[in-house]
Amino acid sequence: MAVSKPKLMVVGNGMVGHHFIEQVCSLGLNKIFDVHVFGEEPRPAYDRVQLSKYFETGSADPLMLTSAQDYQDWGISLHLNTQITAIDTANKTLTSAKGQSYVYEQLVLATGSFPFVPPINGNERDQCLVYRTIEDLQAIQAAAANSKVGVVVGGGLLGLEAANAMKQLGVKTHVVEFAPQLMPVQLNDKAGELLCSKIEELGVSVHTSKATTAIIDGEAALHRMTFNDESFLETDMIVFSAGIRPQDQLARVSNISIGERGGIEIDNWCLTSAPDVYAIGECALWEQKIFGLVAPGYQMARVAASHIASSVSDTKAQTFTGADMSTKLKLLGVDVAAIGASRGFDNAQFVELSDNQAGIYKKLWLDESGTLLKGAVLIGDNSDYSRLLDLYLSQDEIAGSAVELLLAGAEDEADLKDTSIVCSCHQVTKGDIVDAVKAGSHKMAEIKSCTRAASGCGGCAPVVQKIIDQTLQAEGVDFNAGICAHFEHDRQALYHLCQVEGINDFDSLMRQHGKPSASGHTYGCDICKPAAASIFASLQNQYVLNQDSGHVQLQDTNDAYLGNIQKDGTYSIVPRVAGGEITPAKLIAMGQIAQDYDLYTKITGGQRIDMFGATLSQLPEIWKKLIDAGFETGHAYGKSLRTVKSCVGSTWCRYGVQDAVGFAIDLENRYKGLRSPHKLKFAVSGCTRECAEAQSKDIGVIATDKGWNLYVAGNGGMRPRHGDLFATDLSSEALYQYIDRILMFYVKTADKLQRTSTWMDSLEGGLAYLKSVVIDDALGINSTLEQQMDLIAATYQCEWKTSLEQPAFLARFNEFVNPSDAPVADANAYQRVREQRFPNIKDAGAGTIAIKDITEQQTTKDEVLA
Amino acid sequence: MSWINVCNEANLPLGTGIAAWVAGNPVAIFNLGRDGLYAIDNIDPATGVGLLARGLICEMEGELCVASPLYKQHYRLTTGVCIEDNTLIASPFDIKTEQGQVLVLAKA
Repeated sequence: MAVSKPKLMVVGNGMVGHHFIEQVCSLGLNKIFDVHVFGEEPRPAYDRVQLSKYFETGSADPLMLTSAQDYQDWGISLHLNTQITAIDTANKTLTSAKGQSYVYEQLVLATGSFPFVPPINGNERDQCLVYRTIEDLQAIQAAAANSKVGVVVGGGLLGLEAANAMKQLGVKTHVVEFAPQLMPVQLNDKAGELLCSKIEELGVSVHTSKATTAIIDGEAALHRMTFNDESFLETDMIVFSAGIRPQDQLARVSNISIGERGGIEIDNWCLTSAPDVYAIGECALWEQKIFGLVAPGYQMARVAASHIASSVSDTKAQTFTGADMSTKLKLLGVDVAAIGASRGFDNAQFVELSDNQAGIYKKLWLDESGTLLKGAVLIGDNSDYSRLLDLYLSQDEIAGSAVELLLAGAEDEADLKDTSIVCSCHQVTKGDIVDAVKAGSHKMAEIKSCTRAASGCGGCAPVVQKIIDQTLQAEGVDFNAGICAHFEHDRQALYHLCQVEGINDFDSLMRQHGKPSASGHTYGCDICKPAAASIFASLQNQYVLNQDSGHVQLQDTNDAYLGNIQKDGTYSIVPRVAGGEITPAKLIAMGQIAQDYDLYTKITGGQRIDMFGATLSQLPEIWKKLIDAGFETGHAYGKSLRTVKSCVGSTWCRYGVQDAVGFAIDLENRYKGLRSPHKLKFAVSGCTRECAEAQSKDIGVIATDKGWNLYVAGNGGMRPRHGDLFATDLSSEALYQYIDRILMFYVKTADKLQRTSTWMDSLEGGLAYLKSVVIDDALGINSTLEQQMDLIAATYQCEWKTSLEQPAFLARFNEFVNPSDAPVADANAYQRVREQRFPNIKDAGAGTIAIKDITEQQTTKDEVLA
Repeated sequence: MSWINVCNEANLPLGTGIAAWVAGNPVAIFNLGRDGLYAIDNIDPATGVGLLARGLICEMEGELCVASPLYKQHYRLTTGVCIEDNTLIASPFDIKTEQGQVLVLAKA
């Protein structure tokens, strides 16, 4: 008889419960225990810290931390929609609301917390909601749809998050706070005042020192909230976000010790009063303290997992010794940070900086001697956070005058000790990151996966990047390694050189900035030549097969013959079908051509038609016919704009709010022919139903009833990425302006063969930085970027039309210099399947050939070929 | 074995390749101007497809090569041996010009 494994049960699948499971798996405990996880919610763990992102995308997907599949892969049973209602701690069993019973050897409670709803008469009325789960967000969204005015009760951290969500939903938002200031737990009065004025500038009304006495029927709105000062406020919806309370009900009914004011009491190993029962996260009470942040919860998860591991293996358990509650975040776009005793204390010394012009306030609290940092509060600029936190945690003496700490810039941000915690979500020190870099992980993505740094809330990503750069520099590794053996520059540097020095031919570029061979050759290679060709085209936009500047010899496989090469050496042909709109006459013309040349035809993912199997020498005659029928090149062979996909839009669709097709055609016509570091795909959706899948495109545009929402840097393919919401409710003019700037900035700064998605991830400062460049003109280059795009648009040419007009260029489409000497063609080269022609090559193909990763990017085979 | 006249020298594009039929076999001819003429089998040994003439000319560690358009293996123009995998060889052909004509030595 098989010996059954001991059972490890986890109640709760929130962030902390999931982190515990990750620890269990990394310690191999999932092989020793039969692990079961019970979650009340219908979906596995998601990121509650960034909940308001749900409204940016309208989907829970970007928030998900894991999937049911992950749990299955780990051999863990995940019971969703399952509430555990009782624990029999004597017999070690659990009972679910559905009446099922489960035995446990070890039990972990990670039940989290619930939102505190103040006991106000009327708080159960319609559209009186809380802010904690995705279901809560869906309810808020539904309420917002029929609300003009909304109130958030609670001006703390969570309340302001909820206010942000409400504002994003287009509801006039009020925040009502009982205390005389915002964030009374973390901020002193002055900091609270500045935060308040900044938030009011954003159109959110703040009402402090207000205690709500009742919620009754309103006259102009659904509700009227009455306050203790006899004033009132009318509103259509109310979200209570006045703090959290530990979810200890299950422990309470099971006679596990609970603190006087709630919370499951735990010791230094996170053990509760019941044998083999642990509690972790916001439900746990350690030394009369509840820790309402995710980082301490993660620490508890690690402690509990290590203690369980120590019971079955020869490992030592960690202990929980309290956690720092310092925090850094962006509230409604305002930087806020609080460290240690951020509200000060008796006999404290302090230094203070208040810059009303720039909207910055910083205050540091020092001990009586003025040499140790005891607390800090930062508003408007929290770039000093890492450095100050380190100083606070280490309790090192402040070198020099404390006021200098206020003035030092962010440059020193990564200047930390090796033991300093950089990522507080995953407890990663600077030393961990440095070691990983020295061991060969040089990229942010690699560091994220091997140390987990910056994979929690992501707030530390800029510091992590700086540490990577510093370490590589210190190691003497050239982290701006050149693109290939012929150049020590990266693409951005080459672009800059070509732009500033007006270089437009490869020979000059190589002689002035590259490394010609010992024999003086400047042939370059298949990495640098196409990169240079792309740069020249982005800057000058000349005909890509021109002989004068020698560009023809630089073009990669597909650009070289203005077609997409296929596995049998023939080409496919994709004419432009802007916006996916095509007349019946053009369809017929295309069909006739495909039939005449026996071309295999297929509809592409970008709403175009691809015709396969044209030989090199057939390309010019086929294109002549296409151009006569009114087509132009689709640049399917170029690293350039491919398609602007569109849905039907308001012209026919009964749901559409804008003319998606018309706008897609205009967009495609503006940006067609732009050569870029990699291919570009756009889409335009005519309403929020998003039928064009615009959020998976480099540039995605979604219509709203007020204008257009712009998404950038989405991607499908091997590494899907949702586009980031860049700006909302834009006019068409503003949208073009932003896209002009974004694309030219991408062209200017991206690495070779870097899609916008990886470009965005690699941009230091990410989306916020891109916004500052494009919207606020932080670099002062916007007019230049727009001029450049105007130049590209003004010099557009259909490369096939140009080719056909100049017989000299057509010579290169003669596949053989002596075609009359050709032997009889192989009759077995093709087969017919489903009434179409396919090549008859059995073994040739990527499946059987080792492909050298020529790009060293995460480029799929299809992208190499495309 | 005999020298086959494939074309007039002026018909060879400069700095790039073109294919020619030599006694029924496809040969890739590269005209590198002052650096000479090269000829190797046009069939890419990795795939069996005739297209090496359409590859990009490269210089890898001082050696002139052509990068196969399909999967970018590099073949030396002198010996035809692949840089990434020396078991792959696009065999070289002797090539010369005489009185403005391009001659390639056919294989038996």
